[in-house]
Amino acid sequence: MNFDFSENELSIAAKVKALLGPDSKDFLARGESGDLQQTRESLLQWMNRLAQAGYFALGLQDGKNSVPLVATRESLAAVAPSLFLSVEVSTRVFGRLIAVYGTPDQKAALLPAVQDGRLIGAVGLSESGMNLESSLETVAVPAGQDFLVSGTKGHVVNAPIADWIAVAGKTNDRLAFFLLKADHEGLSIDERLPTLGYDGIPISPLSLQNCPVSSGSCLGPFEDDEPLRKVRSWEDEILTAASLGLMRTALDAASQYARTHKSGGKPIMAYQEIGFKLAEMLTLLQTAQLLAYRAAWMAETGDREAELLGRCAKVFCAESAERVTSASMQILGQQGYLRGHPAEEGFRNAKYLQIAGTSTEISRVKIGDGVLERG
Amino acid sequence: MFKDQVIRFAQKEIASRSSDHDLRGEFDFQSFRKLGEFGILGLHFPEALGGSGADVVTTVLAGEALGEAGVDGGLTLAYGAHTFLCADTIFSHGTDLQRERFIPKLASGEWIGCMGLTEPGAGSDVASITTRAERRGDRYVLNGNKMFITNGPIADVAVIYAKTEKDLKHAGMSAFVVEKGTPGFSAGKNLIKMGVRSSHTSELIFEDCEIPAENLIGQEGAGFFMAMQTVEWDRSALLAPSVGGMTYILKKCVDYAKQRVQFGRPIGEFQAIKHKLADIKIFIEAARSLCYRIAWCKDQGRPLNHLEAAVAKLFVGDWSLAPANDAVVLFGGYGYCHEYEVERYFRDSRLAPIGGGTSEIQKRIISKLLQWT
Repeated sequence: MNFDFSENELSIAAKVKALLGPDSKDFLARGESGDLQQTRESLLQWMNRLAQAGYFALGLQDGKNSVPLVATRESLAAVAPSLFLSVEVSTRVFGRLIAVYGTPDQKAALLPAVQDGRLIGAVGLSESGMNLESSLETVAVPAGQDFLVSGTKGHVVNAPIADWIAVAGKTNDRLAFFLLKADHEGLSIDERLPTLGYDGIPISPLSLQNCPVSSGSCLGPFEDDEPLRKVRSWEDEILTAASLGLMRTALDAASQYARTHKSGGKPIMAYQEIGFKLAEMLTLLQTAQLLAYRAAWMAETGDREAELLGRCAKVFCAESAERVTSASMQILGQQGYLRGHPAEEGFRNAKYLQIAGTSTEISRVKIGDGVLERG
Repeated sequence: MFKDQVIRFAQKEIASRSSDHDLRGEFDFQSFRKLGEFGILGLHFPEALGGSGADVVTTVLAGEALGEAGVDGGLTLAYGAHTFLCADTIFSHGTDLQRERFIPKLASGEWIGCMGLTEPGAGSDVASITTRAERRGDRYVLNGNKMFITNGPIADVAVIYAKTEKDLKHAGMSAFVVEKGTPGFSAGKNLIKMGVRSSHTSELIFEDCEIPAENLIGQEGAGFFMAMQTVEWDRSALLAPSVGGMTYILKKCVDYAKQRVQFGRPIGEFQAIKHKLADIKIFIEAARSLCYRIAWCKDQGRPLNHLEAAVAKLFVGDWSLAPANDAVVLFGGYGYCHEYEVERYFRDSRLAPIGGGTSEIQKRIISKLLQWT
């Protein structure tokens, strides 16, 4: 693989980085206020700025520009973890779903707004806990040319502030996605859920009670559940990049502190107990980065091992993020334990990465299955 | 693909001999010569010197292929010490005369090479070596001892690091070529090791060993720089067989998990076993990414990034132990027996965090570099 980025890719990454100054924390502050309107306005504002910087030019189509996308995502995830998740779910889960599986009319109606950062999207997949089973209980009953959709979804990122929500369900036992506006008849969006980490993330369950959906607002029905697996893999890609961002922030915070905080007359970084811990953190970060890049590159080139590599990257990056954020807090001592410190925040955020998308347990089972199949 | 060709060659010509040589602790001269005939030993050297002019990534893939074919860590270590630590130092820093004299025979496997840096009292702290090379007219006289030298007892050619300025540390180190049979140069007995047993390892002894002055490689005082340059190979091509070996072991584990039945079903159907297989696979892919990156950068002509090199060595060294252990555990009692290759791989892998710079030294390098950035 080529480990270098093109001029254009570097230019986009630089523009995105330039956006992420101290005011990027504003979104978090507003989100933590619990005021959904503020969260929504802040997100739209940021998505617009990111769109202008070219952030959405990468990877709206499945597998395109995957490698530079990992690097650019890492930059955003390092500075604004919650914003990152919201932006990515809106564009590269909801938006990509339309781009890959939508009809020409659906694309014409929704994609320009997604690409310009004017539309907030969400996708309802999980129904029980954080896991996704292909035997969805959300069901669409045909009613003439239309459908009546009923079911519940849990933990839908962006649901409380979304303009559009794509809901996965079954009709005649075949997978389909149904596009609903936030004020759609029969759609109830529950209250935002309080979470351990990712402060301010707008996440909530939703329920559908005989929601009338026209066939023009339906993606599918599909021959098999492949689109469902695809969407889950897009989520996993996002969480992989989120892991890199958390590690970067945690390492930077710990390194900075270890250079300036003194003990026994010298910076604590000069002690092997601290220096070696930082070395282990950096080793995990750099290894995780390379594995994520390689998995993305394989996805982009259509390598037959791409799915397996993507799972390996997700597990390794998510687990490394927990290790690195924990070590960061250890180095930072009581400072890192204070509410709002990047180390404390990263430590809380990291757990989500192993739970959300495909959990590390399910991922390992699937990797094991893949290895056994190939063997 | 070239990698597949190497795998097929090594499976056919070498791998079946690995267990026997490992158990007897004997170097497999026949297989080593076969590596030379196939072109592996001189892959990256120019054709004019008996090589194939391959790039570093191709060389890494060849090393990975040897491991993937089931070649034991002893033979791949011997290959690494021979080609990268010995021959490449002569090729990269030697005179035309030195290259023409040594490289073709090293590339073909007719001669075996070794490299002597570590001493009984100087391991990680290489600048503290005490072996002396004293200039006397048109000759150098070497005195001192080298320790843990891979290929030491069987080498025809040795690249030896010695102090030409005893009061200087790094800047006092120089490199020399010493040939087998030179008066005053001898090798100690083969050390019995836990793993990589088919490679021969010994002390090298220099007692008023006189060599011609033209055996100096490069300039006096440039030895430390040369030793550090080998790091690029050490962190890519020398790590690659270990990564390939883990791929081989994963295949063995998969085969076993499919055929071993407990509680009425193959153990591969149990999640705890899948978990181990997954962890081995994750290690392989992560380690592979690091090796490829170092090799690719070298191919681009970029100066060695010491941080990345140390990261690669630290990760492959430390993180290979758990999956190697997983493989043994997966095989249960059989995994503890010589008959099953996971036992050999487990022993071989224990060298990874020790040889070529311990994990602690890598952490030291990384933490120092972090202090400066």
